[in-house]
Amino acid sequence: MKSLIQKLTETFSPSGYESAIRDVVRAEVEPLADEVRVDALGNLIVRKGNGSGQGRRIMLAGHMDEIGLIASHVDENGFVRFTTIGGIRPQVLHGARVVFVNGARGVIGGERYENWNQMHPYDKMFIDVGAASAKDCPVRVGDVAAFERAFLDMGDKLVAKSMDDRIGVAVMVETLRQLKSTPHEVYFVFTTQEEVTLGGAATAAFGVDPEIGVSVDVTATGDTPKGEKMEVSLGKGPAVKIKDGGMLADPRIVDWMIRSAESAKIPYQREVLLGGTTDAKAMQVARAGVPAGCLSIPCRYIHSPSEMVEYNDVQNAVKLLVAMLSAPVSLD
Amino acid sequence: MPDIAPFLKSLISVSGLSGYETPAAALIEEKWRPLVDEITRSRLGSLHGLKRGGAGEPRPSILIATHMDAIGLMVTQIVDGLLRVTAVGGVDARILPGTPVIVHATGGGGRDELPGMAVQPPGRTLPESVGSDPVPLEHLLVDVGLLPSKVAGLVRVGDLVSFDTAPADLSGEVLSGHSLDNRASVAALTVALEELQPRAHAWDALAVASVQEEVGLVGAQTSAFGLHPTLAVAVDVTFAKGPGANDWQTFPLGKGPTLGWGPNIHPFLHKTLKDLAEKLEIPVSVEPMPRHSGTDAYALQVAAEGIPTAVISIPLRYMHTPVEAVAVKDVQRAGRLLAAFIAGLEVDFVEKIVWEES
Repeated sequence: MKSLIQKLTETFSPSGYESAIRDVVRAEVEPLADEVRVDALGNLIVRKGNGSGQGRRIMLAGHMDEIGLIASHVDENGFVRFTTIGGIRPQVLHGARVVFVNGARGVIGGERYENWNQMHPYDKMFIDVGAASAKDCPVRVGDVAAFERAFLDMGDKLVAKSMDDRIGVAVMVETLRQLKSTPHEVYFVFTTQEEVTLGGAATAAFGVDPEIGVSVDVTATGDTPKGEKMEVSLGKGPAVKIKDGGMLADPRIVDWMIRSAESAKIPYQREVLLGGTTDAKAMQVARAGVPAGCLSIPCRYIHSPSEMVEYNDVQNAVKLLVAMLSAPVSLD
Repeated sequence: MPDIAPFLKSLISVSGLSGYETPAAALIEEKWRPLVDEITRSRLGSLHGLKRGGAGEPRPSILIATHMDAIGLMVTQIVDGLLRVTAVGGVDARILPGTPVIVHATGGGGRDELPGMAVQPPGRTLPESVGSDPVPLEHLLVDVGLLPSKVAGLVRVGDLVSFDTAPADLSGEVLSGHSLDNRASVAALTVALEELQPRAHAWDALAVASVQEEVGLVGAQTSAFGLHPTLAVAVDVTFAKGPGANDWQTFPLGKGPTLGWGPNIHPFLHKTLKDLAEKLEIPVSVEPMPRHSGTDAYALQVAAEGIPTAVISIPLRYMHTPVEAVAVKDVQRAGRLLAAFIAGLEVDFVEKIVWEES
């Protein structure tokens, strides 16, 4: 599964520009699926199973897009000013390398510091693409870029840009591969634009009209020096979301995940995340409402170019999803 | 008119935090069952009471949304037997230290209700940046008075913590307690359903006790899509005059409900309600709502193809604290106005709607 994760995280597809990653995912899932389609907003919708008897229509959502930058101005010397796509903090930008969707590469520099104790905001930074003038600059206003950072295999721990949420995509692809049979009609939806509006999941959920929604995404951890005040750690299993900054997971979905984990003896953690949210929020309010929750992969340094997950947690997330989807679901 | 205070007191004696509304829903369902023709739950748990109108099919319908969820706390960490918490909904943390709470513990195999207190640690243990300001929620703790080993066995991350302040009658006319936002409006809608019992009405009345308003209008948005009403009214609470409050952003307690006015509210519905209040001699104030009404109406208005929506609010003091206060008279008045509005809807009301923006 590590080579799949490497392939997914080394693809560049910021929100709204997901065609490159969609092609990669499509090639992986096509041989495994009963039906594959792409909707009007670019979501890749992959069905497995027909739903029979007690089966439910279940939508899984893992987002394909990643955070990025968008060029807002090119000056006469070819330096590119930018703004952000999704939640990028200035702290992670100095010295970062980026790749534009058209293949152009750049490094991020900043204006001279008056005060080294105060971080530059974005408007005092720029992307240097090696151009000498506006004319020979390969980047135009509106071109988008993502972090360039090679996948790093530390053995137990894996580091890459866009683990958020390519690791969720990887878990879903692997689940589809391992899911031998299911009583459900399962839609594996690889969504677009999660990082900006949850727009892909919102529209896909309207189209699929699921009875149950589960997103697969990363969550923060509290296991680093003076880190977040939260209980989740790397290596203690996938996390069952109870609450995040945007939603309360449906308690029936929480129970379903925990029951499945306990009966299959898969380690799990209970997650209360203080900030941020996932595609589950959009699924929950689709149409007349969908009981929704999120299976989270614990991840350090989210929204930086070096997001870290534990391989064991990833594999256990696959096991848990397979267990959840292999048996009938009762939401009472 | 039957006295609604005992029912309202029972509603603010139970928990029912956002996403976990069952304790409140059970009481409301029992109360509404004899007052409506049909009662169902949405997929997210909102209660839908249908009181059928007398007009022929297809019959127009009006949805009245009163959210039943309450704000509260949730356990994020267990530190030496004490609980760190985060807010479910917008909790005013300044007033939390000293508040009695119930921890709904799920770690012992069942559901244990542990009495506890919200407390603040001594100042010397807090970061210097807190200074003499109110202690932020991230530093507050909940103490259930048990040994750390016992707490570890009973309480889990994600367990709910609800307020346990008992209802208090102040001056015989004002009721104080937790969760009056928005159980006071549920009580007002109940008054309306009681008032409608002997009266004929042409439209279907959809009484909705919505879930998860405090965390994003989740119930109203989804119930409006599912029920697809012709018109909608959100009933919620608003800021009552109190100590230090000015005259232009707050409304007198005990002098009647407010009628919202602004882009979230359909002008014709507002005018109809205002004229009706005048006719019935129910005192009301006009409450300017320049943007988001801060109520379920925001989600109702843009559900499906769009729903003409109005807002009625009950003045309330000390919002989002465990000691909210409302005047019972205002609850009764809001209920009477709602009932008269529903009963007065003629079959062709929608065709008569005109845009008069003043």
